[in-house]
Amino acid sequence: MIKLGISAFYHDSAACLTLGNSVLAAAEEERFTGIKHDSSFPVNTIKWLLHSTVTKITDIDEVHWYENPQTKDDRVKTIFNKRPIRTFFLRQGYKKDRKNNSPKALLQALGYTGKIIYHDHHYSHAAFSYYTSPYRDAAILTVDGVGEWETTTISLGTGKDIKKLLSIDFPNSLGMLYSTITSFLGFRPNEGEYKIMGLAPYGNPSKYLGKLQQVLDQKQSKLYLYQKYFTWEYSNRVMFNKRLCQLLELPPRLPEDTLTQDHKDLAAALQKLYEQEFLKLVKTAKNITGSENLCLGGGCAYNGVANSLAYRYFKSVHISFAPSDAGSAIGACLDNHVGISPYLGPYFMDHQVRRILNTYKDKVHIFKLTEEKLISTVAELLASQNIVAWFQDKMEFGARALGNRSILASPTNPTMREKLNYVIKKREGFRPFAPSVTLEDANKFFDIKEPIPHMNQVVKAKVNFLPAATHIDGTCRVQTVNYNQNPKYYKLLKEVGRLTNIPVLLNTSFNLKDETITLSPKQAIERYLSSDINILVINNFLIRKI
Amino acid sequence: MKLKDRVKQKIADWQKKKEYEKKIEELRKRDPFIYKNF
Repeated sequence: MIKLGISAFYHDSAACLTLGNSVLAAAEEERFTGIKHDSSFPVNTIKWLLHSTVTKITDIDEVHWYENPQTKDDRVKTIFNKRPIRTFFLRQGYKKDRKNNSPKALLQALGYTGKIIYHDHHYSHAAFSYYTSPYRDAAILTVDGVGEWETTTISLGTGKDIKKLLSIDFPNSLGMLYSTITSFLGFRPNEGEYKIMGLAPYGNPSKYLGKLQQVLDQKQSKLYLYQKYFTWEYSNRVMFNKRLCQLLELPPRLPEDTLTQDHKDLAAALQKLYEQEFLKLVKTAKNITGSENLCLGGGCAYNGVANSLAYRYFKSVHISFAPSDAGSAIGACLDNHVGISPYLGPYFMDHQVRRILNTYKDKVHIFKLTEEKLISTVAELLASQNIVAWFQDKMEFGARALGNRSILASPTNPTMREKLNYVIKKREGFRPFAPSVTLEDANKFFDIKEPIPHMNQVVKAKVNFLPAATHIDGTCRVQTVNYNQNPKYYKLLKEVGRLTNIPVLLNTSFNLKDETITLSPKQAIERYLSSDINILVINNFLIRKI
Repeated sequence: MKLKDRVKQKIADWQKKKEYEKKIEELRKRDPFIYKNF
């Protein structure tokens, strides 16, 4: 049976194609449109999926939609009805969107007239997390902004079954609280949350933690947020009101305003509060399931600092490579465990790469090397402090570059972080970079409990000679790499280790400021030429500027 | 607290409130802050 999985109209639209229980291909729409976190119907992704798998739209047996529009409609209408006058214009806009965003009509326009199966938003998160895990029994905790009604669920996975045991409904949302303070601090909600995580270690949580805790009713057994501070039920522009400013005794920051110590302290308090509430949920998950294993899903599972705390209650923790809504396109299609890698996107054959490179012959030197020679040459270049854009094989699915669309550099160079932040990526200087390390050497450098193949846990560094990939508090969002995961990247790390005794590389996504991760060789070379990256590698082609 | 201090405090609170409202209004005008909740 061929299934098409789709997530759309919230953020991180994506689609995937599955045959039986194997995922043939998947990608996020943003990679094709260049719009970060694109929420539109993933028409470009669907066209690519069909083309790359030589499938006709009429070959698809079922479409699995990641959420239930009817239940979501119920939530939206219910909250609009609380304030019919205040939400009048919002309601008109919603009605228009609802009409334009009908999954049935959009799929019909593509020629699909078959069955559409709608799943609950948090079920899709839970299914993606659990069915891509190695466990046959696990607690499943999903936390995000909001799905239909639910913002948080705890389920028990046993064999093929997922049974929901507890849920928290809108407007009590840990994800939306995080997004609200993100926007309060002048960053875009649904995008800037990871910047807040990066900013938090520069602050002291104690100044604002007590104040921030006042938005919660601590006496309730479940998360309860006082709505008097928020506008979630009647606005989609600013997520808070002046009462929140009065509570914090701080005006909101505009994006162009300087980041002050107060902003850093507020970021630290938010992260602390999130960790406290997240740990309560983890503890509840442990108590009601009794399992030793935990699967995390939902956009909040990108909070690597909090994720690592789950080991206080669980022996083993699994976080898949795309826990946000993008991964739900895959989750919606799964009904059993599946062996899956994050490398599910487009790839380009050597002849296609050569054709593109030839059009830039006047700007670059092109060297086609054997894999062995390429790896030894690139390792030497990295060891001598060059910055290398590394473009290989299939593009990753999810927010992290995991060694196929990466910018690589030496983590031992203390100036590398500033160079990459300010010169190459042109982004805020406080943002940390992540290290990749060979799995067998990981424990020499980092305090890890399990392999972390998807770069979604923050751990303590055991050494002090990786300054470019270690955050101010001595932590790293590490990626462990073994041969089976990504043979070529593993070999490169090994070779770097042979040359320097440190099989660790700084690994950041191959994109420049405000761009999506690189999709194609053409994009790769354009970005290489417009940046200070020293070397570009596409497949076995090594490219240098003239 | 003396009446003079209380008045001063009231004025300071009012000024803060106005500052908050102004900043929120500024944020409201900006597209990047649209939050897709509905």
